[in-house]
Amino acid sequence: MDCGTCETSGPVQLMTPEVVDVNLSISNKAQEMLADAFGDDRSMALLVGVLSGGCSGYMYDLQIVEDTDQSCQEVTIDGFRVLVPNASSHLLDGIEIDYVDRLMGGGFRINNPNAESSCGCGESFS
Amino acid sequence: MPRVAYKDSALTVWRGKDCLRLIDGLTTNHVLDLEKGQVRQTVFTTTAAKIIDFVTVFHMGDFLAVHSHASKLSKLLDHVIPRILGQDVSITDVSSKNVYCIEYGVVNEIVGTFSASNGLTRGDIGSELSILIAALGFEFEEMRSEEEFSQWRVENTIPWNGYEISSVHHPLAAGLAAFVHPAKGCYIGQEILARMVSRGRQGKKLMRVETMSTEPGSITTHGEAYSLAILRTTQ
Repeated sequence: MDCGTCETSGPVQLMTPEVVDVNLSISNKAQEMLADAFGDDRSMALLVGVLSGGCSGYMYDLQIVEDTDQSCQEVTIDGFRVLVPNASSHLLDGIEIDYVDRLMGGGFRINNPNAESSCGCGESFS
Repeated sequence: MPRVAYKDSALTVWRGKDCLRLIDGLTTNHVLDLEKGQVRQTVFTTTAAKIIDFVTVFHMGDFLAVHSHASKLSKLLDHVIPRILGQDVSITDVSSKNVYCIEYGVVNEIVGTFSASNGLTRGDIGSELSILIAALGFEFEEMRSEEEFSQWRVENTIPWNGYEISSVHHPLAAGLAAFVHPAKGCYIGQEILARMVSRGRQGKKLMRVETMSTEPGSITTHGEAYSLAILRTTQ
């Protein structure tokens, strides 16, 4: 097999999506829950990312982080730092971070105007 | 050792620490545990669980070599590349640097490994099926015709790209159930396939049928006495 390791095979042209200045909002209920999670320490940030996979192609990835090595844009909403990776900014512009208070299937939820469809669990979209 | 040219082949080299995770999240088989020296086949599917391509992943140690199909490579890359996002994955197309063939009808004691020597890589992908990849210029011997290979496929009910394996079918109908992992978790098309399995309803199924008593339109690989067809099941 010639894997092109010794020669100059050109890489497949990767389409780098345009980086979008993300606008997002956080519902009142989600802000309450974030306040519980962060406490008084507002040095932490909510990282809202997208991973490939899931039933519909993309999966949301929510993490509370101090910092990240990903290239991100930072949005501050009512004192909460929100980090959005530039690589997935085109998928997250206009989202609302909500919190659903339910015994089953509850938790943080993303309402995404860019999503054509989403799977039953709400974690995956396309 | 009968062999047949695998003409509609493509080979891409995938580098980066996130390659296996990316492929695992987009395909039907579990590949996350693939190790150096192993080879595994899996299916990229759409959200409607239709086949995009049936690929063979070779774990070469520092990188993955992914055998797919030239006629579907563009569609496959259009599917994969937007989903790389910020992950550590780069893909190089080395299709034109290699030649490809299938060796069939020889018993492989161990399935799921590959060996490489003298520029020839041999992946044992089935109990009687191996894929051979060599650098351009390599001459394969004992080559047979596609008709002979098709006859062998019919006798053994082996689906093939461009015949049973096409974008109008889902993997279960196309005879690729062995490459749909029952418990790997979410991937594109998983909900639909999981529902078919759990309800015992997959709609259509690959079958070996008598040629004369089967409607020609439903035959996918024509044979003399017997053929392969994807037909609706009675369930």
